[in-house]
Amino acid sequence: MLALPAVLFTATLFLLPVLVLLSEGFRVDDAWSLQGYADFISKPLNQTVFFRTLKLGFLVAGVSAVIGYATAFSIFHLPSKHRGRIFGLVVLPLMISPVARTYAWIVILGRTGIVNDAIVGLGLSDTPIRLLFTETAVFLGLLQLFMPLMIISLISAMENLPNDAVAAARVLGANWLQVFLKVILPLTKEGLVIGGTLVFTGSLTAYITPAILGGAKVLMLETLLYQRVNVANDFVSAGIIATILITMSFGSNLLFKRIATART
Amino acid sequence: MGKWTTFLIIGLTLTFLIGPFFIIIAAGLSAGENLAFPPEGLSLKWYWAVFEVESFRESFALSMFLAVFGTLSALVLGVPAAYALSRYRLPFAETVKTIVAAPIIVPGIIVGLGLLRYLVIPLNFTVSMALFMAHTALVIPYAVRVVTASLENLRSDMEEAAILLGCTRFGAFVKVVLPNIRGGVLAAFILGFVTSFNQVPVSLFLSGPGVRTLPIDMLAYMEITYDPSVAALSALLAIMSVGIIFLAEKFLGFSRYV
Repeated sequence: MLALPAVLFTATLFLLPVLVLLSEGFRVDDAWSLQGYADFISKPLNQTVFFRTLKLGFLVAGVSAVIGYATAFSIFHLPSKHRGRIFGLVVLPLMISPVARTYAWIVILGRTGIVNDAIVGLGLSDTPIRLLFTETAVFLGLLQLFMPLMIISLISAMENLPNDAVAAARVLGANWLQVFLKVILPLTKEGLVIGGTLVFTGSLTAYITPAILGGAKVLMLETLLYQRVNVANDFVSAGIIATILITMSFGSNLLFKRIATART
Repeated sequence: MGKWTTFLIIGLTLTFLIGPFFIIIAAGLSAGENLAFPPEGLSLKWYWAVFEVESFRESFALSMFLAVFGTLSALVLGVPAAYALSRYRLPFAETVKTIVAAPIIVPGIIVGLGLLRYLVIPLNFTVSMALFMAHTALVIPYAVRVVTASLENLRSDMEEAAILLGCTRFGAFVKVVLPNIRGGVLAAFILGFVTSFNQVPVSLFLSGPGVRTLPIDMLAYMEITYDPSVAALSALLAIMSVGIIFLAEKFLGFSRYV
């Protein structure tokens, strides 16, 4: 009984409207039909946006994993009084407005930004080059936004590493690559999977970063959805994109979980 | 790994994660008219200018209102749910957890659009009412999660004892349980406040002309101007968040709860 108000509130406000929205993708001219999907898939722009979103999701998750392992392992090896402080600095950006975090990249990558100043100053180009509204800009923004989630997951996983497992492997003659592949990776796989899922789904469903750093030139699924609704009042496409986003988030959750449990 | 490699790796990662904040703080300090880094001369004028923009003042007030009262409502709904989840063996406990967590799992932009099209427009809600409901629902998952964790660390014999001594279940909750989970409830409030204040996608479609949350207003403002005021405002917001988290950590041990 006590849980009822919260459940009812969430179900009416969040679940029902979302389900109706998803159903709109299957309705064309007031009849149930898959025509909307066929039309949606046949448009080259939609295909580009879909694959771009997927590609950026994988890239951000992959690069976060590589940098995340190096960073988490380094933090893990600090004396414990520093460890807490550095960990706090990694977590802190998560509490800061994503708009503020993303806006910083406009200052860095803009025409009069620090990168362009360096490029022109070094004589690599006579005029500033366009760095904003490119996939690279969106990639950097997403990486900065979501990498802390990967580092946090990996550090929690490393707390479970047996104390001397790494030292034992070293003594027995393993090089760092072997230590990583044979000891660290298998024992922290769960953290990698949790972090990977958070970063991947976070990147797929981000709105602010592609809106500010990608604009109309580098649409991703969320910005495409916004545009379809605001510019064209096209709720069939909106329903379809919503279905794709939810399927991909839930799907990747399940898939990654299976990968995590498969090899053990 | 050597000591220097360790420092180098951590240093590079922190520069990437935190360096941009120093850049927006500096860009806001510019004396010039255009956004640039390094800034063209130093002045605080853009930091003052932020307070002169009327739409920023209005949207800041709205965001504050939503963050405070939306989070309080979420706690009113969420604390009983957390109590039920931790103290009773509920039928469908997993389903309850999934439904209550839905606002985090489903992408915000979809939630906002669904809410607008099928509830707000048909039922003629005002923009502020719609935003208030959305921000409440959005915070419920955090409230339930943090408070459930606190309740699970609290042994239930004390409240059983209070009930045996003649307290009602509700009385025992108010007199025994609540004082003991104060820290968790406060941590849930702070986490909810920050989440609500910073959130964009859910409010994107729900915001109407003249009634916008601060982050949405910033997005609209940065499309039409290229002066350093958004950088100054971003820096102020970042400093505000850091301040809140710093105080919460110092006086509450915030990170233990979240």
